Amino acid sequence: MAATALAAEAHAFRDEEDLQETYHANGWTDGLPIVAPTPERVEAFLAAAGLAPDVLLGEVPTREVRVTAEHAAINAVMAGCRPDYFPVVLAAVRAHLHEKANCHSTTGTLSGAVQTVVVNGPVRSQIGIECGAGCMGPGFRANASIGRALRLVIRNVCRAIPGVLDRASFSSPHRFSFCFGENEEASNWTPMHVERGFGANESTVTVHSVMTVDSAVDFTSRTPEALCDSMLATLRRNGIAGDEFLGEDTTAMLVIGPEHQRFYDRAGWSKADIRDYLFPKFTEDPGPNGRIVGIGKKEGLLIVAAGGDGMAQTYVLIPHLAIAITEPVIAPA
Amino acid sequence: MRDAIELEWAGIPTAAIIHKAVEGSAQAMAKLSGMPDFPFVIIDYPAIPTAIWSKDEIRDLACEVAPKVRARLTA
Repeated sequence: MAATALAAEAHAFRDEEDLQETYHANGWTDGLPIVAPTPERVEAFLAAAGLAPDVLLGEVPTREVRVTAEHAAINAVMAGCRPDYFPVVLAAVRAHLHEKANCHSTTGTLSGAVQTVVVNGPVRSQIGIECGAGCMGPGFRANASIGRALRLVIRNVCRAIPGVLDRASFSSPHRFSFCFGENEEASNWTPMHVERGFGANESTVTVHSVMTVDSAVDFTSRTPEALCDSMLATLRRNGIAGDEFLGEDTTAMLVIGPEHQRFYDRAGWSKADIRDYLFPKFTEDPGPNGRIVGIGKKEGLLIVAAGGDGMAQTYVLIPHLAIAITEPVIAPA
Repeated sequence: MRDAIELEWAGIPTAAIIHKAVEGSAQAMAKLSGMPDFPFVIIDYPAIPTAIWSKDEIRDLACEVAPKVRARLTA
C-alpha cells in the first residue's frame, strides 16, 4: 500500500456526546449514532484491504463526485463495520458506482429506490453474513453495517441528502441498510455469482437498486409451475417498464425462500428451469390488470436462495432504472 | 437538470422544464455545477408531477410554459 496520507479534514471534539451531536447537526449521519472515524481506525480499514487512501473507486459525474478508498473507509467505520468487512464494502461501492447501476438516478428518485446488496462466496462465512432466517432484517452485524456503509457513502460522498438531491417522497426503511447473503449451502442451485461468471470459490457482491420490494406469498401452490405463476403475478402487478439507457440488460431479482425452494427441488427444477418457464411469459399480454415485465434477456432474471423456514414466500425485487452489478471481493495482496 | 447545464456549457441555449416537486434538487444541482442562478422553467401545482395528464391539462400547461421557454431561449 502506498504511504499516502489521509486527505480528510480533521475535527476535534470535547467528548463523545459532542462528537455525536456534531455529526447529527452537520448532516453527516443517517439519523443514527456513528462510530468515530478516527485516523487510526480509517487506516486500519485501508490496511485490511491493502489500499492507499487515494485509490479511486468510482465517480458520479453529474454530481461532480469522485469516491476514493478513504471515503469508503471513513463511512464503513462510521457504519459500525469491522476492518475485515471492508473488502466487501469496497466491492459494494464499486458495484453501485458502475455506470449502469445509475447512482444519480437511483439515489435521487422520487420513488425512494433502495440499494440491495447480495453477498456470495466464502466471505459470507468468514465475516458472518446471514443468509437464512431473518437475513433481510436487524440482528446481524455484518449485514447491518455493510449495507449501512454503502448508504452512508451514498449520503456523505455522493451527495444524496434527503430533501436536496435525494427527492424521495417517502423513502424506505431499506435505505438504512439492505444486505444479505445467498444461502448457497442450503440449496442445490448454482449460486448467483457462479451463474454470472465467477468461480464458486470467489466472493462477490451484487448491488441492485430496487424501486419496490414486493412479496409473492403463496401457501397453496404445490408445483413449480404454480409457484412461478405467483411470482409472475407479482412481477406483472408492479411491471418493469424498461429503459433506453439499459436496453435489454434490465434485471430483476427473485429471492426465493426455502418453503418455495422445496417444491423446485422435489421436481428437479434448476434456476435455469425457472427462467425457461417464466421468460416466454414476459412477452405475453399481461392482461387487463397486469403490466409489461420488460426484461430483455433470460439471464436478466436473477434468482437467489435465501431466508428461513416457515413462511411460503419469495421476495420480488423490482428494479429502478438500474441493472444489477456484480463485483469481486478483492483480498489484499 | 444537469443535461441542461452541460448543454449551456456547450453554447447551446437551453430551457429545462421541471416540476416544483423537484425544484430543490434542481437548485442543488445548479449550485454544485457552478451555476446557482440557472433559470429553470418551473411547472407548479395544481399540475401534479407524476400522473397521466389529460389533453386539456397538457394544452393548458403548454400555453403556460411556452412563453417562458421562448423567453429563456431568446434571452
